[in-house]
Amino acid sequence: MRPLTCRRCANRVLVEKYSPIHTSVQWLGDARTDCAEFAGLAEAGADSAFVPTCGALRASIDEAVRAGLVPESRFGEPAPLPR
Amino acid sequence: MGGTTPEQDEVRMIETGSNPTRFARGWHCLGLADTFRDGRPHEVKAFGQTAVVFARRDGTIHMIDAFCRHMGGNLARGAVKGDEIACPFHDWRWNGEGRCVGVPYARRVPLRARTTAWITMERNGLLFAWNDPQGNPPPPDVTIPEIEGYGTDRWSEWSWKSYLVEGAHCREIVDNVVDMAHFFYVHYQIPRYFKNVFEGHVASQYMRSTGRDDIKTGVQMDLPDAVTRSEASYYGPSFMLDTIWTESDGDVVEAKLVNCHYPITPDSFLLQYGIVVEKKPGMPDEQAQVMAQTFIDGLEVQFLQDVEIWKHKSRIDNPLLTEEDGPVYQLRRWYQQFYVDVEDVTPEMVRRFEFEVDCDHAIATWEAESREAAARAANAPA
Repeated sequence: MRPLTCRRCANRVLVEKYSPIHTSVQWLGDARTDCAEFAGLAEAGADSAFVPTCGALRASIDEAVRAGLVPESRFGEPAPLPR
Repeated sequence: MGGTTPEQDEVRMIETGSNPTRFARGWHCLGLADTFRDGRPHEVKAFGQTAVVFARRDGTIHMIDAFCRHMGGNLARGAVKGDEIACPFHDWRWNGEGRCVGVPYARRVPLRARTTAWITMERNGLLFAWNDPQGNPPPPDVTIPEIEGYGTDRWSEWSWKSYLVEGAHCREIVDNVVDMAHFFYVHYQIPRYFKNVFEGHVASQYMRSTGRDDIKTGVQMDLPDAVTRSEASYYGPSFMLDTIWTESDGDVVEAKLVNCHYPITPDSFLLQYGIVVEKKPGMPDEQAQVMAQTFIDGLEVQFLQDVEIWKHKSRIDNPLLTEEDGPVYQLRRWYQQFYVDVEDVTPEMVRRFEFEVDCDHAIATWEAESREAAARAANAPA
């Protein structure tokens, strides 16, 4: 998985693309506090665990894919998270 | 064609691992609450123990270990007397908190007359028990949500079923939440969109699916060209609540599906599932009930197919996956949090993880396969 920084709030995640449609995102910190969009939802009483996608992060990923920064990869077993 | 590499020639060995002897921490649904309010004690085998579940006069339902600490009598074979359960052997009286409060023939209750009691909760007409091998109470943020409008005219009654599964650990059913492809082969659905999100103690699945041309199931509620949208979440290790919107001909029917289980032994569990269907304004009660029953009957067929797979499959700790399979390894990493002490829950188990499957290749394959099968069936001599 490749590191990626969200252009809206500088939240850092790991991203992987098996194909143009597939996306995996491993969050490295607490989604409720590290992400501006989810923190806003939390203030409104919504829990990010029940939100399928952060729109700003998704836009950042799509942009990085278009820029060729996230080349497609094959299945691999998950590695431990970086400390 | 050219030769194969040594790596391609190597036989893939299955690592079976072994079923955990520990039982998961979390809320477990025991069934429809009202079934326990008939004034009688109910024996429930769960979490490797035998328990008795009974209702007090105020209607609250309690769960304590079934075996009387006196001489081991089975309290579930006894009687509810007032707010206590009385042992059939010597009439010792145990309350819902697991304390012996009276021995009618004796002057004193002995010290240490205390047995295991589970914390119980009722939600949406269902009874839950909190299991924690460490004996801690549930954290406030770990709970089961209320279904908005439950108990009002908005929803039908629960259509509810349970099924004893023997010879399999309950991890098998939890694996299904990420298993995009089994929905076609085992459940006769064609997933069109499939995404999982794990965060904290919640594991969710977002799916859009349609039925097959060749095999129809009650899950489409007998509605023509139905599209099913589903948002399902596991609240902890065993209780999944799923909101399903069935769209057909411009109409949408909303339903709440429960898919849950509790472990009995390390290799058996009670599978339970139920549904309430939205009652549209002007829709007769019977119609909503019929839709619920059609759906649950369709689901029963599907679950029995799951059971058939589980009964005969191997436990496998190292599944061999394609890019079109869901995130089985990450799901199991999430699931592991319920099998370790709370102090040993690691960031890997609870950090948010998202996985959106590319279904396009599968859809093309499955549409062609079901179209051809439907054509063959239509042309077959009667």
